[in-house]
Amino acid sequence: MTRMILRLLAAAGVVLLGLTISMGQAGAQALDRILKEKKIRITAEVTSPPFGMLDKDNQPTGSEIETARQLAKDLGVELELVQVTGPQRIPALLSERADLAISSLSITTERAKTVWFASPHGALSIVIGGTKNVNIRSAADLAGKKIGMTRATLEEQVVPKVAPAGTNIVLFDEHAATQQALLSGQVDAIAGAAFLINELAKRNPDKAIETKFTVMTAFYAIAVKPGNLDLLQWVNTWVFVNKHNGVLGKIYEEQTGVKLVDLPTL
Amino acid sequence: MTYTFQFGIVLDKLDLLLEGAWLTIRLAFTAMVIGLLVAVICAYLRTAGSPPVRALIGTYVEGIRNTPFLVQLYIIFFSLPSIGIRFDANDAALVAMAVNFGAYATEIVRAGVQSVPVGQIEVGFALGLKRLQIYRLIVLFPALKAVFPALASQFILLLLGSSVVSAISANELTAIANTLQSTTFRAFEVYIVVTIMYLGIAVAFRGLFALTYWYVFVRGRMG
Repeated sequence: MTRMILRLLAAAGVVLLGLTISMGQAGAQALDRILKEKKIRITAEVTSPPFGMLDKDNQPTGSEIETARQLAKDLGVELELVQVTGPQRIPALLSERADLAISSLSITTERAKTVWFASPHGALSIVIGGTKNVNIRSAADLAGKKIGMTRATLEEQVVPKVAPAGTNIVLFDEHAATQQALLSGQVDAIAGAAFLINELAKRNPDKAIETKFTVMTAFYAIAVKPGNLDLLQWVNTWVFVNKHNGVLGKIYEEQTGVKLVDLPTL
Repeated sequence: MTYTFQFGIVLDKLDLLLEGAWLTIRLAFTAMVIGLLVAVICAYLRTAGSPPVRALIGTYVEGIRNTPFLVQLYIIFFSLPSIGIRFDANDAALVAMAVNFGAYATEIVRAGVQSVPVGQIEVGFALGLKRLQIYRLIVLFPALKAVFPALASQFILLLLGSSVVSAISANELTAIANTLQSTTFRAFEVYIVVTIMYLGIAVAFRGLFALTYWYVFVRGRMG
């Protein structure tokens, strides 16, 4: 009887020891694991042109996805794109469904509480967009209006802070719904990245959508799960090298049509 | 992989979550009341109405029961404005839920109506009652008693399915949870708390239905 119990305890102890060893290794060895498996998993948000979208053959493309492809190539591993919606970008990273988040994640101190950012590799601006007949010229005009935006975005964090009391913030789970709300007149205006709003205006010329005013500009960067210091270090090095040889600038300009501004180092 | 649970962050915002839960309850309950009214009328029309009326009701019922709720919701919120009918988010949610529940409840009530023994209906005719009177006085009560459990289950499905209306920005419990998750990134804690809240609401309603059944159908009718 005692021998049985002792055996069971020993077995349990071995299992626990094995678990702690493997768990302890997981965080610090992310880069080694990626190199060993010869595969890196990167988030892909395909509903956010020009950062991520589907081309005419329904293949993922866009500035962030092309950046991911370049990074995987330089690392010498196979790329696996993990499709996510806006609100899922960070959770996918934290639950280890993806090793890196390259989906136009703007650097904010709020997000920095849960992820580690690399040095920025791109910039965007958040604007308010609406149809011609809606009179909005500055933040003060937002009062009493319904402003739509997508959850888990930079605009969700920033616009409620600059909007005056009496603004009705309406939240949707994805960009498609936010844009549809504007097109069907269910909201007076929407907040979003300038590129997205311009794209929306171009595709719907009959609605006469225009940019009302710019809320803020921001830099976005690659994010890693806290603890993956070796991966972060490699990514920072990669961004540094490709900033100076112009590769990042080329990808950005090709997809957005805008020249990349000078990027600061984090 | 270490993960420290931080329920405090979620429980701080409990008042927001309770507001969302209250809207969920109000939406589901109102949709049920409207849907039940629709169902009682449509069940009558489908069993006792003329062929064109039956076809019309049949189209409504089969159309709703064979398409996804989310698609119906999107049509009501995003597509109707282009023909001039504009609902705001919470109203659109209520309309979609009532229409949806009405279709399913129609079929359930109709099954109950058809389960009433034909003899009882014949007695009604023999007494000189008109169709509508027979439906109201003889058929409806036993029909509803027979299908009450099925209706209660359909209501719970409605209640839980209401989480879908967060997609059109109605501010019910799931929408609040999604916003909380997107600002705190505490997916585990947020959704565990919300699951427990839905469970609590559903169990409370089941108890309410059991009481209602006893009060309406059983009390004073034993023996």
